[in-house]
Amino acid sequence: MISSLRGIWNKYKMQLAIVVIYLSLWLLFLIANPFAFTNQYTYTALMSILPLTIIPALSLTYVVILGEMDLSFPSVMALASWTLAVTWRAIGPNVIGILLALLAGAVAGFLNGLIITKGRIPSFIATLGTMFFWSGIVLVASQGFGIPLSMFKNELLYRIFVGRIAGVIPAQMIWALIIAVALWFFLNVHKFGAHVYYTGDNRIAAKAMGINTDRTIILVFIIHGTISAFAGILATLEDATFWPTIGDIYLLRSLAAVVVGGTALSGGAGTLFGTFVGGLILEWIETGLLAAGIAGFWTNVFYGLVIVVSLILQNMIKVIEVKREIKEGSE
Amino acid sequence: MDNSKFVLETRNLTKKFGDVVALKNVNFKVGYNEVVGLVGDNGAGKSTLVKTITGVYTPDSGEIFIKGQRFTKLNPQKARELGIEIVHQERTLAENQPIWRNIFMGRELTGPFGFLKIDEMKEASQKVLKDIKFGAELSPDKLVRTLSGGLKQGVQIGRALYFKADLVILDEPTIQLSISEVRRVLEYVEDLKEKGKSCIFITHNINHVYPVADKFTILDRGKIVGEFRKNELTMDDLSEIMTSVARTGSVPEKYHKINLVGSE
Repeated sequence: MISSLRGIWNKYKMQLAIVVIYLSLWLLFLIANPFAFTNQYTYTALMSILPLTIIPALSLTYVVILGEMDLSFPSVMALASWTLAVTWRAIGPNVIGILLALLAGAVAGFLNGLIITKGRIPSFIATLGTMFFWSGIVLVASQGFGIPLSMFKNELLYRIFVGRIAGVIPAQMIWALIIAVALWFFLNVHKFGAHVYYTGDNRIAAKAMGINTDRTIILVFIIHGTISAFAGILATLEDATFWPTIGDIYLLRSLAAVVVGGTALSGGAGTLFGTFVGGLILEWIETGLLAAGIAGFWTNVFYGLVIVVSLILQNMIKVIEVKREIKEGSE
Repeated sequence: MDNSKFVLETRNLTKKFGDVVALKNVNFKVGYNEVVGLVGDNGAGKSTLVKTITGVYTPDSGEIFIKGQRFTKLNPQKARELGIEIVHQERTLAENQPIWRNIFMGRELTGPFGFLKIDEMKEASQKVLKDIKFGAELSPDKLVRTLSGGLKQGVQIGRALYFKADLVILDEPTIQLSISEVRRVLEYVEDLKEKGKSCIFITHNINHVYPVADKFTILDRGKIVGEFRKNELTMDDLSEIMTSVARTGSVPEKYHKINLVGSE
C-alpha cells in the first residue's frame, strides 16, 4: 500500500508540484480579495480567456516533446483570424469560414514541417521565419485594418464557439477540454503519440527502429497549425473583431504554460496535464491581479516570478529523482 | 526454401566513401546457431560492415545472402523483417521512456485505429524480462535511463527475442561496462546461443569475446585477414595474431594452416 502510494508520488510528483503552485496562488488571491474570488464572474472571466492560452499551448506541447520549437503559431492564429473574418464578411457567418481558417492553419503547419524536415532548418529558425512571413502576409492583406464581426454575435454558429452555457460557462472552455482530452489520448494511448515521444527522445534510435521521424514531425506541425488556427478562431469570436496582431500576446504566454507545466525543452518528456495547469497558473495571475485590484503593470512581474520559481522547483525535483534512480540502480 | 549453410553470408562486399575503401571484397559468414567474434582495430571496418548488413549503408558492389535469400541492398526495416536485430548501447533506446515502450519501439501492438494495446505490451515485456533472467523484480514501467549499461543491452536482447530474430548483432556491447556487467552481457550471449540464435559480437577486447565465440573473424583495413575456429586457437594465439595484424597487416605464418581465409 505504502509502496504503491510512493510509486504514484514518484510518478506524478512533477504534476503535483505544479498543482500545488496553482493552489497556493489561488489561496493567495482568495485571501487578498475574498469578495472577488468567491464571485462566479471572476471565474467566468478566467474561463473566457484561459482557452486562448491553453489551446495552442497543448499542441505546442507535442512540438516541444518532439524536441522542436514553434514561434510561428501566433502568426498562424492571425492568419486564421483574417481568413475567417474575410470569409464571413463576404458570405456571412457559416461553417465554410471556419473550415477555411482551419485549412490555413494546417497549410502553415505543413509548411513548417516541410522546412524543418526536408529543408533541414532548425525549427527555431524555420518558425522564426514563418512567424514573420505569415504576420507580414496578414498585415499586407488587411492593410493593418481590423474587421468587426460583432454583428454576427447572436448567430448559433457564433455561440457554439464562444457563447455562454447557462450564462456562466464560456463555450471555449468546453472546446479547450475536448481538445485536451483528444490530444491526451493520441499522445498516451496511440501509436502516433508513442512515435512523438521516441522522435523527441532519441531520433537516431527511432529511425533505426523503422519510425518515419520526418513524417511524425510534419504531422505534429500540421496538428499544431490546425489547433493554433482554432485558437485564432476562438480569439477572433471572443473579441468579435479580427485584428492583425491578435495572436501576438500568446507566443510567450503559451510557451510559458508549456514550460511551467514541466515539459523539458530538450524533448522526449512532457505532459499535457502539466501544460493545462501551467496555462491555468499564468491566466490566474492575470485575472487574479486584476480582481485583487492590483495594477495590470504588475502582471509581468508575477509571470516572471512564477516561471522562475516553478522551474527551480522542477529542477530540485529532478535532482531528487536522479539521486533516487542511482540509489535504486545500485541495489 | 532455405538450404543455405549460413544465416548470413556476404560475397565480395565492397563499400567506398569517396576515395576511401571501407570494405574490400569482404566474404563474411555467420553459420546457424554460431557466435562469431568480429574483431579488429578502430577503423578496421567493423561498423561499416554491420551497417551494410543491417541496411543502413548501401554497398557499392557485392551480394548479401540472408538465410539463402540474395540481396544487393537492404534497408533497416527489411533487415529486421528478415530477423536481423542490432543491439547497441545507446543507439536503439529512448532513454526517457519505460522498458515496455522501448521493447515495442516502432513495432507497437495496436488495436483498431492504431490505439495501443498497452496491457498486452506490458505483459509481454514482463515475460521477456523474465526470459532473459532479468530478475522478476524489474518492472516494465521502469524508465530505461535508470538501468545500468548491461541491463540496457538486456532490454534490446529481449526485444530481439520477442521479435524472433535469428541473428543478433552486438555492437561493442562491453565497452564502458563494469566487470559484473560484462559478465551479464556474456551470459546474454550464451543464452542466445542456447536458444538457437546466431550472434555477431563486435569488439576489440578479445578477453571478452573469446569465452563466448565459436569463431573469430579478423578485419583489418576493410579486409578480412583471418578467420579461425575457437577449438583450434587459444586466447594467446588470438592475441598474437591480433598484434601481428595491427603491426604488419598480416597473420603470422604459423597460423596459416588453420586460417579459414586462403592466404594470398
